[in-house]
Amino acid sequence: MALRDKDSDAQEQRLAAYAPRVYGLLVRMVGNRDTAEDLTQETLLRAFRAFETYRPEGKFRAWIFRIARNAARDWLRRRPLEPALGLDADWLERAPASPRRQSRPEDRLLGGERASKVEAALQRLPAPDREVLLLRYYGELAFNDIAKVTGEPLGPVLARAHRALKKMAELVPEEKS
Amino acid sequence: MTRCPKPEMWVRYAAGELADRPRRALATHLESCDACRREVRDLARGLKAMESLAREPALRPEMLDTLHRRLRVAAANRPTRPRVVTLVARYGWAAAAAAVLVAALVLNFPKPTPTIVLPDNHQAESLQEVAVAIELLRVADNGTTPLPPQNLFPGGRANELNLFLELDDAGLLLDYLLSQDRLQG
Repeated sequence: MALRDKDSDAQEQRLAAYAPRVYGLLVRMVGNRDTAEDLTQETLLRAFRAFETYRPEGKFRAWIFRIARNAARDWLRRRPLEPALGLDADWLERAPASPRRQSRPEDRLLGGERASKVEAALQRLPAPDREVLLLRYYGELAFNDIAKVTGEPLGPVLARAHRALKKMAELVPEEKS
Repeated sequence: MTRCPKPEMWVRYAAGELADRPRRALATHLESCDACRREVRDLARGLKAMESLAREPALRPEMLDTLHRRLRVAAANRPTRPRVVTLVARYGWAAAAAAVLVAALVLNFPKPTPTIVLPDNHQAESLQEVAVAIELLRVADNGTTPLPPQNLFPGGRANELNLFLELDDAGLLLDYLLSQDRLQG
């Protein structure tokens, strides 16, 4: 068995820590939990293989999320007719569970009336607008960084965020205090 | 009442992404503008709504096991590279700068050409990195202090530092950057 160096161990730990957030982004981009799991693994493997070429000129987190976003976009291009794309409001509640994922813990975590409304509202946003909100929330990226991830100028990214946030405010009732 | 800022500006305001000065200017505008106050309230509600989602959804243990297994296989299959090659790949521009300096010292060039080339799109992550770049440029150019490209400065800092650039005083700029980094801890 090949000896593993400390660098590889550290990189593995560092990347694995991103798995939940990357999954959170991907499951809402592709609308399918099995695919999101596969793409999460694919993203982190790609990052691991490219670790040597990563240059610390931008945020590490932005680098990971750019890989994730590109993986999702590649998948969406290859599978344009995937049924999950047209999922309606409460897709997380009603999407049929495959045999490999009965009673998943995150299904319970994502439950709750308000969370369902947020999921529903997100699914009603145009994909590029939704993407900006997801990158901000799961990647905790500043809009400048999101612009680098999506390859757009900052202005259009802010315009998307503006549209998306207003729509979310309209569709999700205010939380009772 | 002053003219209302663009809606996009309020996105950055609501998200807390503005520097102190523009943030205070917008806050002053808000005091006298109902429409903008409504705008900010809606944006803040949109941001708050996202908080209802689990930011770190729990993943199936089997999925995580598979991920770790695949990463270990990838690690085992990694071609081994000498550490120095890895470092050069990662810090290429700094290595190039160091090489120029060494060459200049060894060969005793009368006046080394400022050959430190930073990639056009290179943007430093910290003020410390900018300060190091300035120092390298200064040394490479026999103390005549060519200033680094503006794109090097971390987001938004170029404007803040324009005064120093106009003064063409890299020494002053260097002191300022170092003091800022110290302030930021």
